[in-house]
Amino acid sequence: MIRFDNVTKAYKNGTVAVRNVSLDIQKGEFVFLVGPSGSGKTTCIRMLLREELPDRGRIWVAGREIIHMPKWRVPYLRRNVGCVFQDFRLLPNKTVFQNVAFALEVIGRPKSVVESQVPQVLDLVGLSKKRDNLPSELSGGEQQRVAVARAFVNRPLILLADEPTGNLDPGTSQGIMRLLDRINRTGTTVVVATHDAALVDWMRRRVVELDQGTIVRDQARGVYGIDANTGPVPRTEVGARRS
Amino acid sequence: MPLSADYIARETATNLWRNRLMTIAAVLTVAVSLALVGAALLLKQGAANAENYWQRGTQVTVWMKASSSPSESHAVGSELKQLPYVHACSYHSQLADYREAKTLLSPGEFQALTVKTTPASYRCTPNQPQYAQAVYNRFNGQPGVLKVSAPFSQIHTMEETITVLQWVFLSVALVLLLSAGVLILNTIRMAIFARRREVSVMKLVGATNWFIRLPFMSEGLIQGLIGSIVAAAVVFGLHALLNSLANPNNPGTVLYQMRLSGWELFGTDFVVVLIGVLIGSVGSAMAIRRFLDV
Repeated sequence: MIRFDNVTKAYKNGTVAVRNVSLDIQKGEFVFLVGPSGSGKTTCIRMLLREELPDRGRIWVAGREIIHMPKWRVPYLRRNVGCVFQDFRLLPNKTVFQNVAFALEVIGRPKSVVESQVPQVLDLVGLSKKRDNLPSELSGGEQQRVAVARAFVNRPLILLADEPTGNLDPGTSQGIMRLLDRINRTGTTVVVATHDAALVDWMRRRVVELDQGTIVRDQARGVYGIDANTGPVPRTEVGARRS
Repeated sequence: MPLSADYIARETATNLWRNRLMTIAAVLTVAVSLALVGAALLLKQGAANAENYWQRGTQVTVWMKASSSPSESHAVGSELKQLPYVHACSYHSQLADYREAKTLLSPGEFQALTVKTTPASYRCTPNQPQYAQAVYNRFNGQPGVLKVSAPFSQIHTMEETITVLQWVFLSVALVLLLSAGVLILNTIRMAIFARRREVSVMKLVGATNWFIRLPFMSEGLIQGLIGSIVAAAVVFGLHALLNSLANPNNPGTVLYQMRLSGWELFGTDFVVVLIGVLIGSVGSAMAIRRFLDV
């Protein structure tokens, strides 16, 4: 579903954000990208959305090579990749329903589809009763649920989340993770970039750790730091552990 | 992808309402500048009509000296009749010219005239107005000819005045059109800035570039269109006003000679609206190209 092949990305100021990264993520997987700030997590997410282009290497998303993809095809790529951010990015003057519906309207979906899909997804995220509220009338957790609903309403193949719990308390963060887990169970591939150690430890899913742009660990059912029970896991063991 | 006309119409209306002060300023500037362009076009067509009218009636008068001999007068008369480019000629005797002078001159000036001192004349209409100059060149200074007169200078002065007026109108209109374009550009820029969050979300969820651009494009286009419709109405009103002032009982007035037909007015209004739409589209296209990163 997602494949990085020897990808390197450096910014104009000379900082190398990602260095020789190769990574395979299968359909339906739930993967945490972990690492300290500046380790390259967000750059990976931005490259998957084609907001950034790597200097070297190739990237495949949903079976398509996206580096050489013509610019006009990028919006169609993004329809298959939902995305959630730390700052929610909701439109303050639109209600919950309108925020979610907006994602369908701007890709030209007919009104009938909007009217059937939005209530379904609001039900999934548990916000059916708040459909007419403005984002300012919601808690942080609820706002992030709206953002998840907006990212998922078009039923994308992949859901990316960049620090989705960065602004939330631990209890609310667990709620968001449960929601992402439910979405993952529908067959959607979920990639979460985070440095929330407690959540990663709690979920026990595949963990890819980045440090200074390089993958230093790729562990199935991993934890945030080195697992006290299993010790450091070499990358080559990931496939065997996952299966 | 089927573009949702409903969505684009709604977004355009929202943009226009949010930026209403800038929108009003842009619409008014477009209206004023295009009204001037329309007035200049009316003037140009009116001048062409008047020029045709004047040229159709261009008359060359060959004045004979009071002292000229009958043979000299006869020679001039027969040569005039033989010229292929002269349509018609009539001879006005000294007595006839004396009587005409009585109606045209003030009593003080007329007192100095007698029938004997009044020159006889040939009044000729050339086939084409430009042949008036040929008649002038042929007979001016000939034996027995006092002078040859044609309304060259009057027509020339009138044409020059109209040309100058037209250029003044067009220059002012051009400057105003430029400012209208810049104002539209700035309005769209502000709309893009006001909606930057929405644009970023649209990009994120996979809206195509055209889908993002279209509401802004149509916003500029509507500003240009509304401004130009106001200008077209002003031009229509101006035409009606001038027509009401042009008295058909007095065809000698310039206003009457300059009057335009309904089709000419329609053509002018069409050009005005077309320029308005063009200004709106170009202004918004430039703003989108420069400030909307999709």
